[in-house]
Amino acid sequence: MLKMKSSNLCVMICWSCLLPFTGCDDELKDPVIPNEEELITTLTYRLIPTEGGETVVLTYKDLDGDGPGEAIVSVQTLSALTSYNGVLDLLNESQSPSSSITEEIEEEAIDHQFFFENTFDDWQIQYADTDFNGQPIGLSTLLTTGVNGTGSLTITLRHEPDKNGTGVGSGDMTLAGGETDIAVTFLISVQ
Amino acid sequence: MPVGLLAQTCEVKVGGRIQDGSSSEPIAYANVFFKEALQGAVSDEEGFFELPLLCRGTYHVVVSHIGCQTKEFYLSVYQDTVMVFELDHNSQLLDELAISSTLISETTTQELVTMDAHSISQNTDKNIANMLDNLAGVSTLKNGNNIAKPIVNGLYGNRLILLNNGVAQSGQQWGADHSPEIDPLAADKITVIKGVGALEYQGSNLGSVILVTPHKIDNEPHLHGKARYFFESNGLGNGLNIRLQQHLEKLAWSVVGTAKKKGDSRASDYYLTNTGSSEGDLALQLEYAHNPLWKSEVYISSFNARLGVLRGAHIGNLTDLEEALTREKPFYTQDQFSYQITSPSQNVNHHLLKLHTKFVPHEDHQFDLTYATQWDIRKEFDVRRGGRSDIAALDLNQMTQFVEGKYKRYFSNDWELASGMQFNRIDNVNSTSTGILPLIPDYISFETGIFVLASKKTDRMTFELGGRYDYLDQRVAAISISLPREILRYYNHFNNLSAASGFSYSFSKFLNASYNLGLVSRNPAINELYSNGLHQGVSGIEEGDPNLKREQSLKNTFSLGGSLNQKILFELLYYDQRIENYIFLNPQDELRATIRGSFPVFKYTQATARIFGFDVTSTFLISDQLNMVLRSSFLKGTDIQNERPLIYMPSNNLFSTVNYQMPQVGNWEQVEFQISSKYVFEQKNILSSQDFTRPPEGYHLVGLKISGERQLKNNRLNIFLRIDNLLNVAYRDYLNRQRYFADDLGINFVTGVNLNF
Repeated sequence: MLKMKSSNLCVMICWSCLLPFTGCDDELKDPVIPNEEELITTLTYRLIPTEGGETVVLTYKDLDGDGPGEAIVSVQTLSALTSYNGVLDLLNESQSPSSSITEEIEEEAIDHQFFFENTFDDWQIQYADTDFNGQPIGLSTLLTTGVNGTGSLTITLRHEPDKNGTGVGSGDMTLAGGETDIAVTFLISVQ
Repeated sequence: MPVGLLAQTCEVKVGGRIQDGSSSEPIAYANVFFKEALQGAVSDEEGFFELPLLCRGTYHVVVSHIGCQTKEFYLSVYQDTVMVFELDHNSQLLDELAISSTLISETTTQELVTMDAHSISQNTDKNIANMLDNLAGVSTLKNGNNIAKPIVNGLYGNRLILLNNGVAQSGQQWGADHSPEIDPLAADKITVIKGVGALEYQGSNLGSVILVTPHKIDNEPHLHGKARYFFESNGLGNGLNIRLQQHLEKLAWSVVGTAKKKGDSRASDYYLTNTGSSEGDLALQLEYAHNPLWKSEVYISSFNARLGVLRGAHIGNLTDLEEALTREKPFYTQDQFSYQITSPSQNVNHHLLKLHTKFVPHEDHQFDLTYATQWDIRKEFDVRRGGRSDIAALDLNQMTQFVEGKYKRYFSNDWELASGMQFNRIDNVNSTSTGILPLIPDYISFETGIFVLASKKTDRMTFELGGRYDYLDQRVAAISISLPREILRYYNHFNNLSAASGFSYSFSKFLNASYNLGLVSRNPAINELYSNGLHQGVSGIEEGDPNLKREQSLKNTFSLGGSLNQKILFELLYYDQRIENYIFLNPQDELRATIRGSFPVFKYTQATARIFGFDVTSTFLISDQLNMVLRSSFLKGTDIQNERPLIYMPSNNLFSTVNYQMPQVGNWEQVEFQISSKYVFEQKNILSSQDFTRPPEGYHLVGLKISGERQLKNNRLNIFLRIDNLLNVAYRDYLNRQRYFADDLGINFVTGVNLNF
């Protein structure tokens, strides 16, 4: 009998020891919203006619990154049988002031290459810049349009591609590998 | 030398019997060796042995027998003595047949399989999940060979509890590519309970539990230890594990340290670039006996690993994945072997402190009080632009505090009662330095639970019944994915009731059966509720659903075990689990266009699921020297609401080994040859719309192992040579996410040395 009582007492002591832990008054601090400096929200491809005329700007803008927000994609018209100097610019506009990602690409030019694929049979797109090893980057290009028609232009940025792969230097993506940082498509009509 | 010098003290007669620890059957032809006397004997057919005259003194005695774990005893001999030594058979053969219930907390009527100290010492090169992979009903979910988590009867991650020395592991279990942060070499035994509800333990589980039990500190006043070393050819890996222990009068201590390093693994035809790993672990155990009734224990463990992820598995968008699927060998594959680990990789640190005190005022009463704290730090590195690869892309810090009080009572009429109360607080914080929106939000959760279990054991039957109640209070602070970024706060609370019961019956010494039924629930995990973003490795956007309800499982298990003529031993487990509100990643009919290209969207969804299957193990004792083990698992998981298969369910498999044992070859004892064969069937129970590619074909792996032991003057030496994937087969496994990019491991020669001193 006595033993039973002492053990009952023990049970009660044990449980009452634990009671102070049952409170829940923790306050959870506000998380700090990270500075997403690596995010690319905006790509602009400025096409400046080599012989003078109006500059055409292709813009792809998706401010919420992987979020569900729809991207704003411009639809533009290019002149037939015309040469353009193409200049790519990448921005992070998720923060203000916006920051340029183009500089980062320039600094790591050997690890990056843009590819320009289009559905027009008669276009010519040539690289107009090179990295430290003399291989193309694609921030500057020379684009020559063909006859009238409609189609699309897809600009892809590959991180750490194999620039020595067959055809990669001339803009063929098939053996480039690497991982895709940008892949955007513009609908274009040529008139 | 403790041996006396006087002649008359060297006339002590020592004899005894060697028997099986569980059945008390005699063990014939076992070796007994008194180290200090350099004298030994062999037991006769009835298990009896007798030694020539010994001197008085204290002795270390090694008792060994083929197929049993070698044991060492420490004892004093002052007069003619008769002693009984008990040995346990290696789990591989017989332990799996045990359905026993001795103590409510340790073994139950629920089915269990065990990896014992001997099996662990023959697989020192593996991490915890890979070690358990060959047990019946256990498979692994992997992301390459470094990152692996166990699956028990189809359930893993948050649906499975891992207990490290009695404390529920609190890391980032939600991630399919997060391995358990536990060093298996600090364990003496790893037990997988394939149950219906482990009501004694807090935390989410839908039945099964993995218990990692550290070594018991042997009652030995001298400093003793174990040293284990392995080398593996695939990845040129090396590992060293040392354990030291000493039992003083009141204080006992042990220390275990592990260091491992390996470089790039190799598939059958190419190196798996950036799949190296390194690991350093330490565990300290202190036991103090205040008095015969009151004991306290301190356990500290630290797990630290750096794990490389296949470089070619880091991809951008869906197009990249489709390209990777057609590639012969992964992009970025190097021609040379390297120890270097770059991004993508993971750095994981997990520290545990446990304080436990046990008070047994009377043999029928036992009180336990435990406090434990865990600190889990996980950093995951991606290939990033602008020199940011050195900044973690995922950086989580989690602190867990746990308090538990338990009371056990044994009644004279064979009833046992256990009750307890637990409190657990988890504080999970993202580091702000990542520069990336966190995949899971910051949160604090607080869980309180109570349980009561009762069991009755008689000679033939065991009955148990239990109930549990949990209250979870969770505060969450997330960052919105939509713009402008803002802080979203959620407050969740869940009330869960669980119940389970079991019954086992021995029809005879050669046949027993058991049935278990459990109703348990699991609250949705933090990632299932709130994750929002791109999942690395498999280019998909995963979206949580804050409105998910808890899962509720009703599980039945039936097992039958026994032997025919003591020549064929068998064990069959059938399980059938119905889960209401089963949470799974459901592919949506949407491709999300982003500036990086398009990604498929997966959303956490609920439906009623059913998982059923069976595990069969049978052992054929062909002769004293030759035996064969056959194991097979079959499992089917279905979303019965939408009549679709469940994803990531283990493939059916067939595993067999043929063992040939020789008690003595020259100076070597317990020499064993083993040929193993593992056939994994193609996972056919999946629709093509549920995955990026069809599951890999079935594959067949052959392995070989030779091992032996010998007594060096005072030390016991065990060595093994194991060859995995002997035929260097190129294969891919459905449950390895790396299968989208590369083949699994090629041939691997592993050699290990284990020394007891």
